[in-house]
Amino acid sequence: MDFKLSEEQELVRQNMREFAQTYVDPIAVEIDENSRYPEEVIKRLGAMGWMGMPYPAEYGGAGTDYLTYAVAVEELSRSCAATGFTMSVHTGLAAGPIFYFGNEEQKKKYLTPLCNGQALGAFALTEPGAGTDVGAATTMITKDGDDYIINGTKTFTSNGPNGDIYVVFGWTNKEAGGSKGMSAFIVPKGTPGMSVGGHFKKMGIRASQTSEMVFKDCRVPKENLIGQEGMGLKIAMGSFDNGRIGIAAQAVGIAQAALDESISYAKQRIQFGKPISKNQAIQWMIADMATEVQAGRFMYMYAAWLKDQGLPYTKEASMAKVWCAEMCSKHASKAVQIHGGYGYCKGFKVERLMRDAKITEIYEGTSEAQRMVIAGNVLR
Amino acid sequence: MPNILCCYKWVIDEAYIRTGPAQALDMSIVDYKISDYDKNAIEEAMLLQERFGGSVAAITIGRPDDTKGLKDALSRGPQKAYFVNDPSFEDLEPAQTAAILADAISGRIEYDLILCGEGSSDLYAQQVGPRLAEKLGIPCVSYAVAINIEESRIKVERKTEEGLEVVAAPLPVLVTVAPDINSPRIPGLRDTLAASKKPVEEIGLADLPGPYEARIQTVGIKAASLMRNGQKFSADQAGVKALVEALQKDGAL
Repeated sequence: MDFKLSEEQELVRQNMREFAQTYVDPIAVEIDENSRYPEEVIKRLGAMGWMGMPYPAEYGGAGTDYLTYAVAVEELSRSCAATGFTMSVHTGLAAGPIFYFGNEEQKKKYLTPLCNGQALGAFALTEPGAGTDVGAATTMITKDGDDYIINGTKTFTSNGPNGDIYVVFGWTNKEAGGSKGMSAFIVPKGTPGMSVGGHFKKMGIRASQTSEMVFKDCRVPKENLIGQEGMGLKIAMGSFDNGRIGIAAQAVGIAQAALDESISYAKQRIQFGKPISKNQAIQWMIADMATEVQAGRFMYMYAAWLKDQGLPYTKEASMAKVWCAEMCSKHASKAVQIHGGYGYCKGFKVERLMRDAKITEIYEGTSEAQRMVIAGNVLR
Repeated sequence: MPNILCCYKWVIDEAYIRTGPAQALDMSIVDYKISDYDKNAIEEAMLLQERFGGSVAAITIGRPDDTKGLKDALSRGPQKAYFVNDPSFEDLEPAQTAAILADAISGRIEYDLILCGEGSSDLYAQQVGPRLAEKLGIPCVSYAVAINIEESRIKVERKTEEGLEVVAAPLPVLVTVAPDINSPRIPGLRDTLAASKKPVEEIGLADLPGPYEARIQTVGIKAASLMRNGQKFSADQAGVKALVEALQKDGAL
């Protein structure tokens, strides 16, 4: 077993670290406060090849393995979870379905602009009445000649307000039921009948834009069907397997940031005549944080490695996601505790980390959903 | 269309050095990096190539497993790299570095302009550039903050204590650059991935005349320590007098 990253992977991590320190750190507080989409940073990431990392060069991607991509997500999230998430949902959930299930024309037309940073991707599956219960969706997609017509409402669509290329799910055959009745379509921005609904004001990852999407007689050509009718659920689940590795990496990035801040603060904060880092209680909190960040890192890297080897990785991706998310939430909260009253205030990074951390336990499959996946796998 | 050769040193990243007891240095978790001002040298080489065409190659001296530095350097733009390596090439002092570089370059590498950082992040002796130029028999212009190439000469703005000095020199020439000269680019992902595919020419000890004896021996390195005298001076005439006397006694005045 070789636990070392290759020199190239280490340099990629280093480059992303430098990018994040130069372009993301200076604006991270402001984009969180104002819930502002960091357009200039995302464009720069795109221009430098970071927005389609694991996809082949012929489609504008960088052709890296998934492990290298996950490491980059971790590094970016360490500076700003919202920016890391924007990169992750674009790469995993929007570009993913097109790469793994789309045809050649779709890849040339849609995957390429996604990978070379010209277009931002979004994933529209969740509905007001259908979260974990995907099958409770009510979006209907009806065939009409050479087109399909989409009607329904999606919610919690990340990159919804500012996306360029959307992957939208709905029933093409409701009677056939969950695993055979849904289909996935590519819907470009500006398609008549698709509109951005209400924006959500979130607790954390506030720079990531989240909204409802409303589809009213939205007509798309049959060329925009991904794969075949009925493949919707398979495409969604397959995309989640990949997306979950990204979220696990994002969670580790948040936790690493919490650790960095805690170490720095504990060494400086003097109480009772000495730095609080000399107190065993604080030392143990930091020891646990360091231990679990390390463990989390190995979990997402292992899941990514399995995927790169062509081995099954659904269970491991779910394990990494649920564990890293709960770990990062726990330690972001501990980091605030170490900072005491200051940690509760704006102006200290740990305040934002704690707010950002929580969502990792919820999106791309709640922790409860992950446990269902894992149990289903293990108890077979 | 100048052929530019930029030199870089692979050094310990001082951010990882920790201090142990009795001012001993703890190097157990150190990572390495391209010496800071050498990044400026590589960046300047690329900027000059963008303006004037030609070619850019990087050159470094190191141990055989210092390959990560090559990828790092190549990810910043040079089209190829020369890797002068041997297990004994560790903790070299400036005279050795300059001698090895001169022997590696002479008769082997064509160049119009050699760029170096003004000094390295670790020793900061600022000697390799001038020594190398002397050994190659070419002019040396140091502390450059701006470089322009005109036909077969360069014009350089040098930052000196007195101010900005403008100097011209014929090609071939060696220039050491000050950090103000530019802001090194952050390599993009594609640049980093492409780096491994660029050619690296290895030059071993057997390919060089040698020997390269050290003239300076490092006896020891300790962490710098800051000790405060803790003297307090009152803000009145007597206090000011006492302050001046203390500074004079310390040799500060």
